[in-house]
Amino acid sequence: MLRIAHLVDDTNPGGVTRYLDFLASDPGMAELAHHQIVVVPRNRPARVAVEADVIVSHLAISWRGLPGLMSLRARHSGIPLIHVEHSYSAGFVTANVKARRRFHTLLRTAYALFERVVAVSHAQANWLLQRDLVQNDVLSVIQPQVDLTRLRALPRPSGPIRTIGAIGRLDRQKGFGPLIRAFRELEGKDLRLRIFGDGPERETLERLAGDDPRIRFEGFVADPCEAYGSCDAIVMPSRWEPYGLVAAEALAAGRTVMVSGVDGLMDHVATGAHYFGAPTIENLRKALMDTCKESQPTEVIHEVGPLHPGLAVQWRQLLFKTLPNLSISGRVADATS
Amino acid sequence: MPRASIIVPAYNVAKTLRETLHSLLGQTFTDLEVVVVDDGSTDRTVAVARSFGDPRIRVIQQPNRGLAGARNGGIAAARGEYIGFCDADDLWRPTKLAAHIAHLEANPHVGLSYSGSELIDMSGRPLKIAQRPRLKNVTAAHVFLRNPVGNGSAPVFRRAALDAIAWRPAHETLRDWWFDETFRQSEDIECWLRLALTTDWEIEGIPGLLTRYRIAPGGLSAGLRKQLESWERIAGKLEPLAPEFFVRHAAAARAYQLRYLARRAFSSGDGAAASRMIRASLATSRRPLLEEPGKTLTTLAASLALALLGHGGARVMQSRLKSRQQS
Repeated sequence: MLRIAHLVDDTNPGGVTRYLDFLASDPGMAELAHHQIVVVPRNRPARVAVEADVIVSHLAISWRGLPGLMSLRARHSGIPLIHVEHSYSAGFVTANVKARRRFHTLLRTAYALFERVVAVSHAQANWLLQRDLVQNDVLSVIQPQVDLTRLRALPRPSGPIRTIGAIGRLDRQKGFGPLIRAFRELEGKDLRLRIFGDGPERETLERLAGDDPRIRFEGFVADPCEAYGSCDAIVMPSRWEPYGLVAAEALAAGRTVMVSGVDGLMDHVATGAHYFGAPTIENLRKALMDTCKESQPTEVIHEVGPLHPGLAVQWRQLLFKTLPNLSISGRVADATS
Repeated sequence: MPRASIIVPAYNVAKTLRETLHSLLGQTFTDLEVVVVDDGSTDRTVAVARSFGDPRIRVIQQPNRGLAGARNGGIAAARGEYIGFCDADDLWRPTKLAAHIAHLEANPHVGLSYSGSELIDMSGRPLKIAQRPRLKNVTAAHVFLRNPVGNGSAPVFRRAALDAIAWRPAHETLRDWWFDETFRQSEDIECWLRLALTTDWEIEGIPGLLTRYRIAPGGLSAGLRKQLESWERIAGKLEPLAPEFFVRHAAAARAYQLRYLARRAFSSGDGAAASRMIRASLATSRRPLLEEPGKTLTTLAASLALALLGHGGARVMQSRLKSRQQS
């Protein structure tokens, strides 16, 4: 059976970790190959001995890590390497990178070490192509997935929308500061803002929330079902978001979802999220106000239909493109026909 | 489909529109459309636009929405891959469009291409003042502090870059917004800065004074307070998008804005307002003094001379000021 090693250097609880957990446990993926999650030291991915037919990097690219990627390539010159880009996006560059051409050079150089590059959203793929970071013929798009069964089974909220949830690391990336400021401008004593997560911005955010009793910091919640289940709507005012798994989860849970118009969040607009443009106080306030006017969450499309093939089908196509001469399994031909 | 669209917001501009349209139809790059957006004019604006009989002129009519709304109406109707703007009293040099399109095609990272401007008076005579902005390595900080794009008739956008900043406010049913229609002043700098802060499109200039930008005389001093207010509104609006950026640059940008207003007040002969503004600028941040000592000190001296000595004493300073004036 085909052996795939997934290299990861970040095991913090977050989208990447949960995606890999799902990937390693999904029956369809297991049928496709044997998946091994390999935790490697940061910037030294070649240090760990790997026996595999395909290596998939879920690593964050950096100048410091580039020599490590090169030795990974050298050590495994005979087998295909695939990179999944979990970290970077147009919004990331806008908010964090001053020397943009230099940064683009880094990405181009790093991607050139791989047979294929996988974008985690269509918006991110557009950015990779538009900035000429990856050639079209080596780029694939596979949106991360996690197990949504329990979220789909959650009771749908009924009645007016009163409790807004924000889920994610308390980091400037997530834009929770403007969210709190916008929420505080809303009238309505029965409105609630529940913030799930922890991180470096916690103190700043608590200060912004001040003495508004409607805002609560719930801390990190290990079971996301609990968080989604306790809210009527979810808002994502992120400044950048290569994919934005929270939006997919919230839609699966039948919640109204509001997203800022950046990066991968735009992918979720096609499946029912509402976007409000740049996360200014005014835009956020209006989005919250309009949502709270609605008595029922709007209809959401979250079923995995023909437009969203299962994860295993997408990975099978990816592997088929990477290893055209290797017979993976009988279904390869079906999946790509 | 034309390769380029030039949007001309037009509100009661029957007097100046003809000359503007001549300058646009006379571009050396000819694969273009000129979208004249009649923003509820009550004069002969539409008749003037139609009188050309040139199929490249399209006239769009809408109820009055103001400058930002007129530009947005034009963007919604534009079919070009490149979109330029020319206000209905300004003029483009014949090679302007060709130069910007060559620039955008050679630099796929650039989303907004601009150039310097020559200032002209109501009769089209050069005022011998130019806007010669920084052209390369323009960051969001430069846009915020010095507005190198300069004026609303200077930029040519790539359509994709404009669409990256589009949004539709909840109450808007017709089309997206690119410029923020709630602004009645400073809507252009708000747009450029939002592009710089929320997208990874680069802003870059090309050499030459390719726009002829008309300055209407007088009447500015009364608007100083309003200008300052709308500038503060921009800072307040965009701050949540990049809080750390505003912590670093807001004071200096405010000081540059105050210095700019001091120079405008000086030009319109209001010495008291000019010296008030330049003193407020110095109190706000030392960065204009450190970064551009010559211009800052000249502004201070000229404002003081005008306030203390009147027009005679200030004339000497004025000639110095003019020769250095940028934006």
